[in-house]
Amino acid sequence: MKNRNIILLFALMLSGFVQAQEFKINKSSGRLELNISRVTVEGHDGNEIIFSSKNQKREKDERAEGLRLVNSLGLEDNTGLGIHVADKGNVVGVYQLKQTHSPDIKVLVPKGMIVSFKHESQYGGEARFINLTNEIEVSAQYNSIHLENVTGPLTVETTYGSVTADLSPTIKEPVSIVSIYGFIDITLPQSTAADLRLSTSYGDIFVAPEFELDVPAKDGMKVYGGDKITGTLNGGGTNIDLNCNYGKIYVRKK
Amino acid sequence: MEKEKLEVLIIDYIDGKLSDADRLSVEQELMRNEDARKLYDELKEVIDLMENSGELTPSTKLKAGFDRILKEEAASSSATRTIYFRPTFYRAAAAVALLVMSGAIGFWISKNNQQQQELAELQREMEITRKQLAETKQLMHAMLGNDQSASQRIRGVNVAMGISGADDEIVTALLKTMQMDPNTNVRLAALDALAGFQHDAIVRKGLVDALSKQTDPMVQINLIQLLVQMKEKVVVKDLQKIVDDAGTMQAVKDEAYTGILKLS
Repeated sequence: MKNRNIILLFALMLSGFVQAQEFKINKSSGRLELNISRVTVEGHDGNEIIFSSKNQKREKDERAEGLRLVNSLGLEDNTGLGIHVADKGNVVGVYQLKQTHSPDIKVLVPKGMIVSFKHESQYGGEARFINLTNEIEVSAQYNSIHLENVTGPLTVETTYGSVTADLSPTIKEPVSIVSIYGFIDITLPQSTAADLRLSTSYGDIFVAPEFELDVPAKDGMKVYGGDKITGTLNGGGTNIDLNCNYGKIYVRKK
Repeated sequence: MEKEKLEVLIIDYIDGKLSDADRLSVEQELMRNEDARKLYDELKEVIDLMENSGELTPSTKLKAGFDRILKEEAASSSATRTIYFRPTFYRAAAAVALLVMSGAIGFWISKNNQQQQELAELQREMEITRKQLAETKQLMHAMLGNDQSASQRIRGVNVAMGISGADDEIVTALLKTMQMDPNTNVRLAALDALAGFQHDAIVRKGLVDALSKQTDPMVQINLIQLLVQMKEKVVVKDLQKIVDDAGTMQAVKDEAYTGILKLS
């Protein structure tokens, strides 16, 4: 009996702890604009956007008791997670409070919202997108982008970072991934019917042997040379466009 | 021999109608008598003349035949007005000619009809194509103008790329997207689409103009590569500026420098 009470008490405490680390907004359409340097975005079936912090609970600063945190960006921590969330109707903006540092935020997003990630500073960490059927837009400089079990549409650009993408069998076009210095590592189901356009100026292109890349003849010639390969997988279909400058391109079979 | 009898004999002699005895006596007379001889010459001349001119006068037989035909014609013309080809050959030929002609006219009419129909069909199809093109363009503009979704704008670019034979409207829309769109992937897609129309004068000019204005490194790199591939030598100055600009990203500088080397 005593044991059970302790467990119950512990569970209550735990749920209270978890609840305190969450911030929710009722919204299931429009755009979620993430302007933070590292984040994990996951899809869920609910109708609200749920933010939580993966960081350890920060030590409470007793000296700051009764004072308000301000910063040069004029943003306020209105979530208790070290980020600022602004609901602008059709657009929900998420901002970090410091230019150089951002807490590691996890976001659960309802289906049907466009997820946009944008970060420019060189303190960018990894941005992860998992189990999403949403449209994903990424525009980054230094962040590495990790996509897992996503359907697209995808428009991903990172200048120095690299991109790993594991696409689910139902791909929604377009899929466009661009990096100047990083690599692009994409995993496709074998049945994927796609129009592939792979281009790298100074890197190499690797394709899984299971994929029969059908290169169409142009003016009676099949062009394999150069730094651009245009071909179809399983008869063609979804537009998949991978563009590197110095990085390599890897096309894997799931 | 008296003159009149001699005359008749000589005429018959000339015509060769005399018996052997008469002919002998006429010849003897002509040898003996100077006057008879003269008469013979005159008569001979006249008869010869008459014989020669005889060809011009219709023979009695011919005249009779003509009269008969005239009578027949007069009789038949009053009875019916049928055009009549006497020999069967002409009739058959006429029938064949009529058949061929009617066939030809029929064919011509039907062909004319067919051509008219085809023309109408073609016009209808062109009308549909025009409508479809207008709808496609509308769709393209709507997609390119979608500020909520970058993927929709890329699909708009793909729609524009799918329109065969881009016109100024499409090219202008793509150039605008390539330069102004907030999303790099969309700008790159537009640039890719424009690369397909690189022989268009407006596109060439648009691409050359864009080089000095573009600040997105990814687009800059791809734009430089495209202009170098197009052997657009006028951009060397702009490339030099990019190389000299301290604010340019290293990868872009390298590409610009490579471009200068390749173009000059």
